Amino acid sequence: MIAIKRVNKAFRGKKILKDISFDIPEGECIGLLGPNGAGKTTLIKCITGIINYEEGEINFNGENILNFKNDIGYLSQNTDFKQWMTCEESLRFFGSLSGLSKTYLNENINEVLKDVGLQDKNQYKVEELSGGMKQRLGIAQAILHRPKFLILDEPVSALDPVGRNEIKNLIKKLKEYTTVLISTHILDDASEFCDRYIIIKKGEIIGNITNQDETVNYKQVYFQVDLSDSIKPEINLNDSYDLQEVKAGEFLVTSRNSIKLTNLIAELDKNNLNVNSIAYEKKDLEKIFLELVSDV
Amino acid sequence: MRNIFILGKVELLEAIRNIKFVWLAIFFTILGVTQPLIDKYMDVIIKSLGGIDGIMMDPNAPKPLANEVLLATFSGQFNQIGLIVLVISFMGMIATEKNSGVQGFIFTRPVSNLEYIVSKLFGNWFISMVCISVGSIVSYCYTIYLFDYYPFINFLLFLLFYSLWILFVISIAVLLSTFISSSIFIGITTIILAMIFMLLGGINETLALFLPSGALTLAESQLQDTHSNYLLMIAPIIYIVISLYAAKVIIKKI
Repeated sequence: MIAIKRVNKAFRGKKILKDISFDIPEGECIGLLGPNGAGKTTLIKCITGIINYEEGEINFNGENILNFKNDIGYLSQNTDFKQWMTCEESLRFFGSLSGLSKTYLNENINEVLKDVGLQDKNQYKVEELSGGMKQRLGIAQAILHRPKFLILDEPVSALDPVGRNEIKNLIKKLKEYTTVLISTHILDDASEFCDRYIIIKKGEIIGNITNQDETVNYKQVYFQVDLSDSIKPEINLNDSYDLQEVKAGEFLVTSRNSIKLTNLIAELDKNNLNVNSIAYEKKDLEKIFLELVSDV
Repeated sequence: MRNIFILGKVELLEAIRNIKFVWLAIFFTILGVTQPLIDKYMDVIIKSLGGIDGIMMDPNAPKPLANEVLLATFSGQFNQIGLIVLVISFMGMIATEKNSGVQGFIFTRPVSNLEYIVSKLFGNWFISMVCISVGSIVSYCYTIYLFDYYPFINFLLFLLFYSLWILFVISIAVLLSTFISSSIFIGITTIILAMIFMLLGGINETLALFLPSGALTLAESQLQDTHSNYLLMIAPIIYIVISLYAAKVIIKKI
């Protein structure tokens, strides 16, 4: 659906995005992760057409994404509106710019405000709203025109726990019918919605991992060998693994890299072991993220 | 075109909500009546401020003509303090939206750079000209009441050429807003550039042919009933087009 090909962006001679390339298939929810200043927001601004980029292309179903602005919904990191407008006027303004008819706006504004929990605030001025309410209004304007592709830059960062939960539930509902790109610092939240993660650091993609990768990568694996024949097994594993016998027949495998369970089982098979049980400690998204962004 | 209309409508609505139309029109009205009152009642004002001892008032000094008073109003009031306040009133038109993220939201919609810039330019020009016109018409009425008659149609023609100068001043602010994020800096730079162009344009008419302040020279010659060289309109139009084009190119680069 979305294809980002070798996008480069420089500002005052400094490269902010370097050869960024990845695809977002229809229906997928992608997490854009990275430390502060990595270039996430710049990349999002390039995708949404807020700023231009020098090289590369960003396509939507094979054509320049800028021809499909009405199919994109966007929530910016610093959500703000014209302070003097009411919530309803703000949505009417952005809806009109999206080419939505008066009838559509009349029928849908209250419904969208209800979706984001602002149904009783439609006549409130933006200046009267709290940071969290503005964030909700930002989401409302992003989904008002029922976009096919939704880009959310830090959607829950300004919300209290109750608001966070409500918006997270809303995002889960939205991802059922729209393709989503979420930029966030909160990795736990990302792991709740995302099917895949693009990890970006200093303007470069340093990781493109799927949720499946996340679940098959482990920090350490324990396995227990059947010792009924009373022969101490001789185990020879690949150099990348460290093997340690914790107690009789129980072994701990650790690795400096992630351990792929399927690979480890294949290694154990080579040793003709009779493995009784296997237990593992999952390497979570945060661990993978920290490993990738760490300078060491 | 539809987007220009929507964005322009929001500019006008904002000016209504924050009573800019009211205070700016009142401000220009006060400026507009000051000059004719001073010209008519200078001796009374001086007397009431402590007498005329030491000040010679020529009793045979000719009574100024209405167009001379109007010219003094525009060159002495509107183009100095009036221009400064006017620029302050619109200096944040793009910078505020850029800094708050509203501009970002607008550009995620099918709105082109040019549509956005044109809506800002003409929206603020319309607001400025409505307020200036209110002040000018009150000033015109006072002037013809206190002095002598001056044809209203000539005055409207003057206002038309003057509006071209105002359009140019706003176009400078639009251009500066695309690469400067501080509203105050945009305002100060716009005022300085406008003053420089006014000073250069005042040197002679040939030089004014190549300057945006040619519109001002043309407006003033219209008011003075001297020969109006309509070629003076070309340079300001070219400068406005260049400013718009440059703003269109720069706005998304930064």
